[in-house]
Amino acid sequence: MASAKVVHLRRRLTPLVLAGLSVLLPLTLLAAVSAGSTAIPFGTVLQILLNGSHLFHFRQSWDPALAIIIWDLRLPEALGAALVGAGLAVAGVLFQGMLRNPLADPFLMGTSSGAALGAVIAFILPLDATYGLFFSLTPLLAFSGALLTVLLVYAIARVGGRTPVVTLLLAGVVMNALLVAVQTLILTLSPQAQFNLQALFNWLSGGISVNSWWPVMIVGAIMVAGVGGALVLGQVLDAFALGEEGAAHLGLRVEWYKFLLIMLGSLLTAAAVSISGLIGFVGLVTPHMLRLLIGPRHRPLIAASALGGASFLTLADLLARTVIAPAVLPVGVFTALIGAPFFLYLLRQSKKEYRWS
Amino acid sequence: MHLRPESRGRDLSVMEGAPLLEARHVSFGYGSQPIFFDVCLQIAAGEMVGLLGPNGSGKTTLLRLLSGVLRPAQGEIWLQGRELERWRRRELARVVAVVPQELHMPFEFTVEQLVALGRFPFVGLLGSYGPQDRARIAEAMRVTGVDVLATRPFNELSGGERQRVLVAMALAQQPHLLLLDEPTAHLDIRYQIEVLELVQRLNREHGVTVLAAMHDLNLAARYFPRLILFQRGVVADGTPASVLEPRLLSRVYGIAVRVGIVRGTTHFSVVPPGSYEAQEAEEETEPREPSPRVLVMAGGGSGERVMRALADWHIPFLAGVLNIGDSDHTLALRLASRVLSEQPYAPISPAALAELRAALSTIDVLIICPMYVGPGNVTLLREALAAARQGRRVLLLAPEASESDSITVIPEAEAESAELSALLARTGIAQRDYTGGEATRLVEQLLQAGACLISRPIEALTLCAPELGSSRLG
Repeated sequence: MASAKVVHLRRRLTPLVLAGLSVLLPLTLLAAVSAGSTAIPFGTVLQILLNGSHLFHFRQSWDPALAIIIWDLRLPEALGAALVGAGLAVAGVLFQGMLRNPLADPFLMGTSSGAALGAVIAFILPLDATYGLFFSLTPLLAFSGALLTVLLVYAIARVGGRTPVVTLLLAGVVMNALLVAVQTLILTLSPQAQFNLQALFNWLSGGISVNSWWPVMIVGAIMVAGVGGALVLGQVLDAFALGEEGAAHLGLRVEWYKFLLIMLGSLLTAAAVSISGLIGFVGLVTPHMLRLLIGPRHRPLIAASALGGASFLTLADLLARTVIAPAVLPVGVFTALIGAPFFLYLLRQSKKEYRWS
Repeated sequence: MHLRPESRGRDLSVMEGAPLLEARHVSFGYGSQPIFFDVCLQIAAGEMVGLLGPNGSGKTTLLRLLSGVLRPAQGEIWLQGRELERWRRRELARVVAVVPQELHMPFEFTVEQLVALGRFPFVGLLGSYGPQDRARIAEAMRVTGVDVLATRPFNELSGGERQRVLVAMALAQQPHLLLLDEPTAHLDIRYQIEVLELVQRLNREHGVTVLAAMHDLNLAARYFPRLILFQRGVVADGTPASVLEPRLLSRVYGIAVRVGIVRGTTHFSVVPPGSYEAQEAEEETEPREPSPRVLVMAGGGSGERVMRALADWHIPFLAGVLNIGDSDHTLALRLASRVLSEQPYAPISPAALAELRAALSTIDVLIICPMYVGPGNVTLLREALAAARQGRRVLLLAPEASESDSITVIPEAEAESAELSALLARTGIAQRDYTGGEATRLVEQLLQAGACLISRPIEALTLCAPELGSSRLG
């Protein structure tokens, strides 16, 4: 598929793509903030945002409600979507690189079912409603559920100081099945679930649900740290492409870095899932598409995937809110509707056998 | 043009005398499955060594141990005078580079990007490629001739080109020691030669020490001044002329071959018998030896004295049944005319038993060494008893340690006339009997059936010189 010409093109394309994505992301964010049930002109949005920085003082020529809509509703949601997209895409790069398989996705290790179980527990516990906690319980439990599951999967797969990839994947699959069963059991047995079923369904099919700045800031801090860590580990992922033994021959402590990569990828995934529910295909398609554009080297790929994933999900969230407004589609549905056909197209296009090894 | 900086060259000269790489009594197995026991070998700086052995002989495992990816279950591996376990991975990667049999690359890295990965041990996580790194990468690509492929995706190259890229990547590591695992396994003959010429050049012009597992005996003979024949242990180690010995090869590979210098060539060739070249090469092979009249039963090192003695006296013998991986098995591969083999640690199978019976019917003398007897090999003693009753000469070798004891406790004259139990005590079988008494009973019956107890191998000669066909002995 790629000839020397394409490779040559890629080398020149890399800075262009990175620059392009850096421009695209603020634009999509702006669009996401401006569009909605009440459309707000770009100029007004910019002026309101700039006034918020206290460095500018545009004379207020707009309905004060708009400022509240932007600051309290749309901006957190748009930023949340961008963070989730960046986190999932980078987690995708990490898992694909570590497992040496371009078809891997961030939910492989059981993060999704762990998060879902956490969310289900949050939904059936009456705490949220009765005590009005400072934080919503759902993101907290989803986050812990995802991380605990991965730790458990890793611990199960570890045999004699080594964690073979195949064992890891199988442990993930089995853990997924187990947790889904537990989740179903809880839902069936709990009468409380009857009330929140719709909300739970929305969560499971993925939707950015941010209603205050706190979760955005916490998730944002995790994402920045996570993406930074991923950028540092970019070279390691390049070496992992040679296989575990090949990486060891280059002087890497393979098991340690495998653990680090799994934990970093899972941290990003868990943070994303905690405010968005289960959103598929962002983590799978974004790295794949960008790899076609700029090649497989992981450091540029991680940077591009963070920007690309953020733009993609912001846009998807925007479409989900506006296409059949006032009804809101779950973003997960949207990403799958765009992602799956595109991915199938890529698969058919590159007549290459993908295999585990 | 020097791949290694000058300072490193000095390091090497300081170390002269000590081998670059040394395996000391290394044993290893995957899980409970043993691969080999007590492997010792040394490789000096600047050598080019070929590692030969049939499939499943443990070559690849040995390379993985030597590269530090696996740890020996017992024994030690020393590199540049320091035990391998005490090297940090990254340090090790600056001294040892490994070229795999093939590389499945899931992503579309270009040749240059892959070769650049060879600098990883020097650049590390946070570092960036400096001008020196760039120079090394360019140099490695130039030496291996892949510089013209620099921007091509690795996955689109031919097998030979890929192999050269892998060698280039290893070279970017500036290794002292290059380990190659069957680097020519998946290549056409043209690329096989191309890759081996390249490795030879690296060895000669750049002073890189090479250890390569090889499956092609002829190419190995052509390119490697020193060969190690490996079959769950070092069977032979030396020049191609000494290692590519038809008897050795036929025992290790299980197929008859002829070895010699085919007209018009300068190196050894291994050819199947019956071919035209084989006729020509035959002049170089040893004269046919007489068929063996002796069978040695041993195990766990107990047969070493007897087998070495027989070999010294040029008495051909059979050995078995021995478990592959047993130190007696490795020794027998080197010394015996034929070795009856069984899988590692496995009890003697019906197939091996049939082979043993056939062998027993062709020999005159059976020597039983003081081996441990358990449920797995007690069959040997049963067969020995049957053979003794059919009139075969059976010699029981007494254990070495008890030799002096037994002589002081039971004087020779008395022993000859003494009752059976005294003799039985001298065999020491009771201490080696893990069958709950059956082995002891069998040895007793053997003695009743006329088996002789000897305390030194030389006694076998005096006892049955005619049967042993030792006409060569004065």
